[in-house]
Amino acid sequence: MSANTALELEDAVFRYQEKGKRNILDHTSLSIPAGTLTVLMGGSGCGKSTLAAVAAGLYPENGGFLESGTIRLYGQDLKTLDPQKRAAYLTVLFQNPDLQFCMNTLREEMRFCLENIRVPAGEMDARIDRAAAELGIAPLLDRTLSTLSGGEKQKAALSCLYVMESRCILLDESFANLDHEAAAQLLEMLLRMKTSGRTILAIDHKADLWLEAADEIILLEEGGKVAARGIHCKNLPEHRTDFERLGLFYPGSRPERAARPVAEGKPLLQFRGVSIRKGLPTRRKWGRTVYDAPFLVQNVDADFPAGCMTAVLGPSGTGKTTTFLSVLKQHPYTGRILFQGRDIAKMKSKELYRHIGIVFQNPANQFVTQNVEDEVCVGLRLWEPGLSDEACRQRAEELLDRYGLKRQRRYSPYMLSQGQQRRLAVLSVLAGGQELLLLDEPTYGQDARSVNAIMEHLREKVEQEGLTVIFITHDTELAAAWADKIYRLEDTALVEKSAEEVL
Amino acid sequence: MLERWNPTVKAFTVLICVILLSFEYLVSLNLLVLAVCLLLLMFCSRVSLKKIGVILLPACIAAFGLFVTGLYYARGGSTQTMDLSSLSAMPYSVRAALSQNLYTALQLATRLLAYAGLGILFALSTEGDFFIASLLHQCHLPPKFAYGILAAFHLMPGMAREYAQVRTAFAARGLKAGPLSMKPVFTMLVNSVRWSESIAMAMESKGFCGDAPRTYYTVPRVHWYDLAAAALMVGGVVLGMLFLKY
Repeated sequence: MSANTALELEDAVFRYQEKGKRNILDHTSLSIPAGTLTVLMGGSGCGKSTLAAVAAGLYPENGGFLESGTIRLYGQDLKTLDPQKRAAYLTVLFQNPDLQFCMNTLREEMRFCLENIRVPAGEMDARIDRAAAELGIAPLLDRTLSTLSGGEKQKAALSCLYVMESRCILLDESFANLDHEAAAQLLEMLLRMKTSGRTILAIDHKADLWLEAADEIILLEEGGKVAARGIHCKNLPEHRTDFERLGLFYPGSRPERAARPVAEGKPLLQFRGVSIRKGLPTRRKWGRTVYDAPFLVQNVDADFPAGCMTAVLGPSGTGKTTTFLSVLKQHPYTGRILFQGRDIAKMKSKELYRHIGIVFQNPANQFVTQNVEDEVCVGLRLWEPGLSDEACRQRAEELLDRYGLKRQRRYSPYMLSQGQQRRLAVLSVLAGGQELLLLDEPTYGQDARSVNAIMEHLREKVEQEGLTVIFITHDTELAAAWADKIYRLEDTALVEKSAEEVL
Repeated sequence: MLERWNPTVKAFTVLICVILLSFEYLVSLNLLVLAVCLLLLMFCSRVSLKKIGVILLPACIAAFGLFVTGLYYARGGSTQTMDLSSLSAMPYSVRAALSQNLYTALQLATRLLAYAGLGILFALSTEGDFFIASLLHQCHLPPKFAYGILAAFHLMPGMAREYAQVRTAFAARGLKAGPLSMKPVFTMLVNSVRWSESIAMAMESKGFCGDAPRTYYTVPRVHWYDLAAAALMVGGVVLGMLFLKY
């Protein structure tokens, strides 16, 4: 209760529906000492993000129902603080870098933040300049926010919190969509803030990055309850069983390599002298399209073997997703892309999609109906138009059962959790019996257990039904664990690497 | 220069001019207003000629449509009713009818062009952020709405990107989504609702409170020259209404 405790939850009970039965936070008690760097870990759906929102006072104000419990920030009851005062104690850096700003440039956004907490206009410029110098973000100040990369956006958002001089910074999976380099830069900024006395509380799926810097790691289980705490890099091995019991990534551990030697035979997909540019043709001159965008991929040859899992590695923004779009004929390219030896330029799009399916980074973008079962039916019907209603529903139900989604078959796809959405997306795409599946960042916002579940399932399909999978990731461990063949996109070239090399 | 004109004053000036013009049928005044608007945009603002052209083109087409409609179907007597009158007088009466209709048609068409001129005068020379800031201070728009609009405004490029992605995803699933198809729009809207929630929470966590007092880095003010420009423009239109004949 002392001011040495940055955040204290006492017996908090929170649920989304007032009359609902399931408590997301079920008698949660937690205290975070001031001036420390603490990492909170827990499986998908254990209530980590809810806990963050409740601690920041965003819930129940914006939804949900707090039945009981007190929350204190530096000894002050949260109920007595309005958003203005709250921001002086605790602010949140969210997961999605795109959804944190309301102004046009970082400088304007920082002014907006300072206006919120009623800093006099005369002091603003000095504070912004000082923060920019300390964090080394001066070059970002006057760029339009929507043109920044994901990592730059997170840096910008973090500097907004810094300029407000908030005493505790809560990170809600803020590194989830960032590659290693951007995450490391952000961590460095955070450590600088910690030395100036801030408290940092990070929620994350993976502890590897935090391990050296963290004072304490806390593991949460269902209902937001503390399963284990007091973990740090010295006593980590003693807690290995806790990590495994909760289905979390144990720092430093590598899933066992499930890859097999690449099968001989004709590759399913081949690139021959393929070049892809960033963006679409920007100008037209005298009726001809003029390309002046930089190359993402230049004059690349690559083979993707049939009946295998192939990983494409590379930092974010290097053009991995765009390469996928080219394979689907949704982005212009030059050179030849061959599918089963046939040039895809000569295939009709519809025919191509019969063989190739794709699951995007954000699966919520590809749902076409408002019902889980219909979603699968659309996939089935598309390739077998003659299928009767009855048979279609039956097939869909079987498939849903196999993917562990039968209970949710009447739900709207948008109501599912991230992991379930991805499974549904894979299912509805593969319902058509495609031979090649393109997967864009399968780990996006998921814990160890659900990532492994989906990869294991795909592995099974690869081995039993001869499915070919190509997946994009910036997670080298994932690639090393699951891929039979690994390509790395470096300086506009696709370079083949062995699992040992990428680690 | 036009960019620095206080947006609220500018908006009211344009509005008053539009209302005044709607009480008059002066072709010369309409054309004069259009010319002044275009000249101001060309010489007193940073707007490119191309942009003016692109926006004015549909207005010109609409004006032409109105002109043709006015010419043939005006109430003053159409060419068809002329057919019924005596044959010998026909050339003269057709001419007369046409000249009367021609004037009506010109009135309608030029009025539309004058409106378009005033519209682009405001729209092209005003920055969204400045306009919102001015509404906040001059019209006492609650900060909750002002910053909500700003957030939505800056989300637009993201929404466009999202829409393109949804369309690609649909195409890759073998579903035809024509340019008018509602399904990608629905998906995009579902996502947008979620986004707006997230942004609202991010703003609140940064201390934003819809109704609490706040400080302001800059407060747009109404200067004497803002009012002088408004008076000049409204006065010009009033004088035109009094002294112009056609």
